[in-house]
Amino acid sequence: MPRWIIHAAVLLLTIGATLGTGRAESRLAMSWPVDIGPLNPHLYSPNQMFAQAMVYEPLVKYQADGTLAPWLAERWTISDDGRVYTFTLRKDVTFSNGEPFDAAAVVANFGAALANLPRHAWLELANQIRKVEAVDDGTVRLTLDDPYYPILQELALPRPFRFIAPSQFVNGGTVDGIVAPIGTGPWVLAESHLGENYVFRRNPTYWGDQPTYDSVDVKIIPDPNSRAIALETGDIDLVYGAEGPVSPDTFARFQAMGALTTAMSAPLETQMVAMNSQQGPTADRAVRRAINHAVDKDTMIETVLYGTQTRADFLFAPNVPYADIGLTPYAYDPAKAVALLEEAGWHLEPGRKVRSRDGEPLVIELCFVGNDALAKSISEVLQAELSKVGIGITLVGEEASSIYARQRDGRFGMIFNRTWGAPYDPHAFVSSMRTPAHADYQAQLGLADKAEIDAAIGAALISTDAEERQAIYRQILTRLHDAAIYLPLTYVSAIAVARPEVEAVSFGAIASEIPFDRFRPATQ
Amino acid sequence: MTAIVQSRAASVAGFWRDSGWAVRVGITVAVALVLVAVFAPAIAPYDPDAVNLTARLQGPSAAHWFGTDHLGRDILSRLIAGSRVSLGAVAITLSLILALGIVIGGTAGFIGGRTDQIIMRLTDIFLTFPTLVLALFMVGILGTGLVNVIIAIALSHWAWYARIVRGIVLSLTHRDYILAARMAGITRWRIFARHLLPATVAQLLVLATLDIGHIMLHVSGLSFLGLGVVPPTAEWGVMMSDARQFVWTEPLLMFWPGLALFVSVMAFNLVGDAVRDRLDPNVRMEHGH
Amino acid sequence: MLGFIVRRVLLLPPMLLGASLVIFLLLRLGPSDPAMDYLRLSRVPPTAEALEAARALLGLDRPIADQYVDWLWNAVHLDFGVSYALQRPVLPDLLYFLPATLQLAGVALLLTLTISIPLGVWAARHRDGWPDQLVRVIAFFGVSMPNFWLGFLLILLFSVHLGWLPAMGRGGVAHILMPAVAISLMSLSINARLLRASMLEVAGQRHVTYARLRGLSAGKVERTHILRNALLPIITATGMHIGELIGGTLIIEAVFGWPGIGRYAVSAIFNRDYPVVQCFTLLMVAIFVVCNLIVDIVYAWADPRIRMSASGMR
Repeated sequence: MPRWIIHAAVLLLTIGATLGTGRAESRLAMSWPVDIGPLNPHLYSPNQMFAQAMVYEPLVKYQADGTLAPWLAERWTISDDGRVYTFTLRKDVTFSNGEPFDAAAVVANFGAALANLPRHAWLELANQIRKVEAVDDGTVRLTLDDPYYPILQELALPRPFRFIAPSQFVNGGTVDGIVAPIGTGPWVLAESHLGENYVFRRNPTYWGDQPTYDSVDVKIIPDPNSRAIALETGDIDLVYGAEGPVSPDTFARFQAMGALTTAMSAPLETQMVAMNSQQGPTADRAVRRAINHAVDKDTMIETVLYGTQTRADFLFAPNVPYADIGLTPYAYDPAKAVALLEEAGWHLEPGRKVRSRDGEPLVIELCFVGNDALAKSISEVLQAELSKVGIGITLVGEEASSIYARQRDGRFGMIFNRTWGAPYDPHAFVSSMRTPAHADYQAQLGLADKAEIDAAIGAALISTDAEERQAIYRQILTRLHDAAIYLPLTYVSAIAVARPEVEAVSFGAIASEIPFDRFRPATQ
Repeated sequence: MTAIVQSRAASVAGFWRDSGWAVRVGITVAVALVLVAVFAPAIAPYDPDAVNLTARLQGPSAAHWFGTDHLGRDILSRLIAGSRVSLGAVAITLSLILALGIVIGGTAGFIGGRTDQIIMRLTDIFLTFPTLVLALFMVGILGTGLVNVIIAIALSHWAWYARIVRGIVLSLTHRDYILAARMAGITRWRIFARHLLPATVAQLLVLATLDIGHIMLHVSGLSFLGLGVVPPTAEWGVMMSDARQFVWTEPLLMFWPGLALFVSVMAFNLVGDAVRDRLDPNVRMEHGH
Repeated sequence: MLGFIVRRVLLLPPMLLGASLVIFLLLRLGPSDPAMDYLRLSRVPPTAEALEAARALLGLDRPIADQYVDWLWNAVHLDFGVSYALQRPVLPDLLYFLPATLQLAGVALLLTLTISIPLGVWAARHRDGWPDQLVRVIAFFGVSMPNFWLGFLLILLFSVHLGWLPAMGRGGVAHILMPAVAISLMSLSINARLLRASMLEVAGQRHVTYARLRGLSAGKVERTHILRNALLPIITATGMHIGELIGGTLIIEAVFGWPGIGRYAVSAIFNRDYPVVQCFTLLMVAIFVVCNLIVDIVYAWADPRIRMSASGMR
């Protein structure tokens, strides 16, 4: 049957179904703090990942259990040396404008993404791809430099290896922008109102299961208080996210009220403070260890966070692949912190509140995003906790982009950071530790064996043997834990609050995706 | 003129005697505020930055008169510490504005000619900016932080003062005693320092008193937007900004710092109005912002 | 009168030119490096080569006069560049958010005038009586009230306690009421006091006494002879209030989650996103200057002396 007949039939059926039941269009209204951006599939901020993932799809899909399922590619084969991947594409997929999704489109998209290689250098796969070629209309072959094991995980990411209709390229690529966000996904961007809202409509020609909602209305509400009010008054049906879509005390209030559905995901990523081993007092391992012993995370989580996150003892939660290696946590023990500091020569002069060693005061700069109320509260708590053991903290609250800049060039004593969640953790995150533009690289620079750590990371990423890989990860993570480069604070969960009009709220396998296609309106 | 102003200002007692009850209240509150600000560390019942997570968000009690904030810090102590930041910032800002105004406006009025014209065009340009917009712009260039906020506010207000200073200087230079001094061969600089400056400063101080409240609102407004002080420093605007996330559950957190700001501004406005009425009935509404 | 307007309008371009020069110079002579901020906001690692490329791209490697002329040339063509952070043209975005801000500021101005004038008249009519005292107290509280705090008090009372008005966002009349009141209270307090003083001053003047002696009714004297003249200082003061109202709106938008230009600008200021900051500032100056122009024209029209001298010159 010609494809257009199928499309027409689907369209008619959809319309018929809508008319037949006489039901009003079902629309899910959600809030998001910032505009979603132009939805360029191959670029980063200001494009919002959740929205990119609504429109664009990957070759393979990351599953909640950590495995990868066929998606736009229905199957693939791997060469014996682990360097050549051959993907067979699904035949029934078109872009939402009717353009065919075929090998040529896949090759064009890889070309467009890789034309901007410096921007993707943090992702090892981008550096590893040597060649992408169309074998025939429905088959694509990827050739790598090394047998890079996380290739499938990285192909599943929301960006940059997803596919836009090549007719939407500008100047033969996507570096200079796109014409319109035309993807293969279950949702199509239908309306954009800068600073107000974005409406995504169900893609009637979608190859997979149709979502239950007809449309998703993303309303831009930057202020968490306003979001909470909008939720209570019914302006929006849902808040969702791991970046504090509502403040923890509001979440606790909603939980207690009972009128709204509240949900918390399993821990997704780690919120920690990276400490600079290269300069300042944090160059002393004793200081870093003392800091790890001096912070009462449980009380902080109970009070400031209202129990919406869980205590983190390690850089990666034990449920992260390769991370369950039985390390001993740095327990909360201020006396031990004091002992460590004393032993290392940091003494409290009479009448002083801050320790010093050879005239160098034990004062550290802690950098955080200034207009993030929660980060500010946590910073102030850390400051108070550390002052109890004689460590002075200077708080530096700056705008987000300044904080990123500090992460990149190492101008910090301590700085807030987060791991990236599944499927980036641990491989993509440790991979980025080798890139100078990351806080982790800068923080670790002072370690005598930084070069060896980087080499071990490189080895883990192209190791073809799972046991060997586990052994290398154990070595890397143990080294970083012993060096106390990080002060792990909490394992962050995504939270969701929904009005009773929404029946099922679930969390995506990838932290940055929102599974709108699985949400349903409540049946009356 | 100088002598008259000084002798009037000197009779503080007379000022008090002639004032109505409202002005007396204003003066009392203003003086009390200054004292609180000066002796803040001694008065505050707790360390204003001492975090106590087990005693957070408490209501008013005997131990904490105004309750505690979201980190368990004593609100009264933070209000007291905040008075120091607010008043200090206002004092520095006003000094900067006065200095800029006197130097620039004085130069224009005293030297005159082309210099005067160029300076006056420049002031005109600055006067086309709404002050808050210019202050926001300056913070945009300089970056956030209390020091930058102070500089920004000073740079967005100097033009008003420069224009007034120029007017005063111009009106004074044609007075007989200045002309006489000039003919007596006294150098221009000495004339400026000995005769013009004191008179100008006296009049400007009246204006400055009127502006204390206004500048105070400016500083805390920018702090409220998150452009001001570095945490954990207590400042009234920042305290309100912090309290925003609790406005539904703990409205008192928002109430106290706002009340402190309101009362202070009111006290200084009362004093300012009274000083103006007494010393210089002519300087009225000439400079609005 | 027409000549007056034309002359006044002709003054606008040089004023804006001056403002643009000041904005440009302050920005370029300021302590920070736009190229660095450009890279930071574009998420490009600031290597030496990247910095150099960014300088060339932004034209920062050229003489400052050239840069200004270029910028001005583009600005005249309504091209204010592209936001570093959002990679979108600046002016359309700002114009997109502007109406909400103008709406709020406009309603606040309207409130200022419609409330302050009756209050001032009432107070003057009952000089030293209880209405006068009441207005004095209200006005005194009004000039000392931090507008953002007032905003929160209003929210507490009308949204949290009584549940009458929506606390956040933009919508119908109910949405704009509280923010507009919070912004206008200071200006209307000043205005009411000013009008009272001005009316009492005019009431003591000779022509008013003559009018009374001619046997005109008290109401008529008040309307035609006192109020009309007493309003002149109010018109002048309104010009000044507009600056205050614009500033107040920018702050109050943050309190009420009003989707205006203030939110956009404050985040740009936080980010040091220069093209946005620059365009925003110039836009605000332009609005301020145009409002003052209108005020001046209204003043000229209302003040018989200027009106006559202007027509005499024609």
